[in-house]
Amino acid sequence: MGIIDGFIKKVSGRNLKVVLPEGSDERIILAARRIKDENIAEPIVLGKPEKIAEAIEKAGVNLDGITVINPKESDKLAEYTQKYIGNRDDISEGIAKRMVSKPLFYAGMMVKCGDADTMIAGAASATASVIQAGVLAVGMAEGINTPSSFFLMVIPEYLGETDKPYIFADCAVNINPNATELADIALASASSAKGLLTDEPKVAMLSFSTKGSASHADVDKVVEALEIAKGKNPTLAIDGEFQADSAIVPAVAAKKVKGESTVAGYANVLIFPDLDCGNVAYKLTQRLAKADAIGPFLQGFATPISDLSRGASVEDIVNTTAITLAQL
Amino acid sequence: MSDVADRIRKVTVETLKVDPGRITDDSRFVEDLGAESIQSVELVAAFEEEFDIEMDEEAALGVKTFGTAVEFISAMLSA
Repeated sequence: MGIIDGFIKKVSGRNLKVVLPEGSDERIILAARRIKDENIAEPIVLGKPEKIAEAIEKAGVNLDGITVINPKESDKLAEYTQKYIGNRDDISEGIAKRMVSKPLFYAGMMVKCGDADTMIAGAASATASVIQAGVLAVGMAEGINTPSSFFLMVIPEYLGETDKPYIFADCAVNINPNATELADIALASASSAKGLLTDEPKVAMLSFSTKGSASHADVDKVVEALEIAKGKNPTLAIDGEFQADSAIVPAVAAKKVKGESTVAGYANVLIFPDLDCGNVAYKLTQRLAKADAIGPFLQGFATPISDLSRGASVEDIVNTTAITLAQL
Repeated sequence: MSDVADRIRKVTVETLKVDPGRITDDSRFVEDLGAESIQSVELVAAFEEEFDIEMDEEAALGVKTFGTAVEFISAMLSA
């Protein structure tokens, strides 16, 4: 069984609810139908009735048995408006109502209020918009202020293991994170790994230096991020700074890493110092090691949600739903 | 046009808590006027509320300066 089939099996039959706010897109209609018929989750489709009707027509399937909501006409609008305002004194009720009437934000409020378990969007929206809805409606996870992303990388064969999974972050969102942001990326990635990997997360903060072998401000940033992350989560297996080989090759770690480390050589969560490194690393791993690069997925929110690429296929939407729900 | 510009200036001042004297046509909401990029979407909602219009997401993301907001909203109102 492939790794994605495993996630589908893990979530199927649990009646988890996924809200799909882009109901005017025929791919969303087709994906909702599959998610429902294959018993992966309970889909909820948002949109204006006339737009959904057009998408249904194009898709050639129906939404029988699937909940469809027009946010503007929803009887939850007043409740979501008040929840959106929360303790803020810098937003009027009128503006808040405008916000939660937008499908992405309505979906985010459904997740925040427990009316859905996750939201999957991005097939017809910019990543920036999905992140805005995540931050402002769903909210951030406790102790984390930086939205970020990760890839699930599946290496066909590595040191005698087949289909070895790793979490790579951040390879898509934060261009040049500072130490605090890098710590957030590490903590969010550990949380993502807990939901998706069989093994406990072992988080390596990567650098061009291993435990002080080089001196530079960029190394200092990684060391500072490590200390911040440890301070926020003292029980997490996280260590660094490591060069990539010290992180994932036990023999190299044994030579280069002085002192005890439960992470060195055995890391399964790799945190790159910036987007240059992360993006280059995932693409090289994908091409040279023939790894499956599954993602990117968003992380750092109070509840996992996901962004789709504009070119997402129906299968991508279904798989993303399963992988996101598998993190719950 | 000037009425629209005045109202957009008023909403911008109220939402971003900036001095009206700092706002020119070229002022960028995020870089120059201090809007958090995450909260720029709320500024758009404030414009929608002021003029009782609905800006789609693509258009909203394209409105980056005071001047483009005035142009875009004026065009919507006269359509």
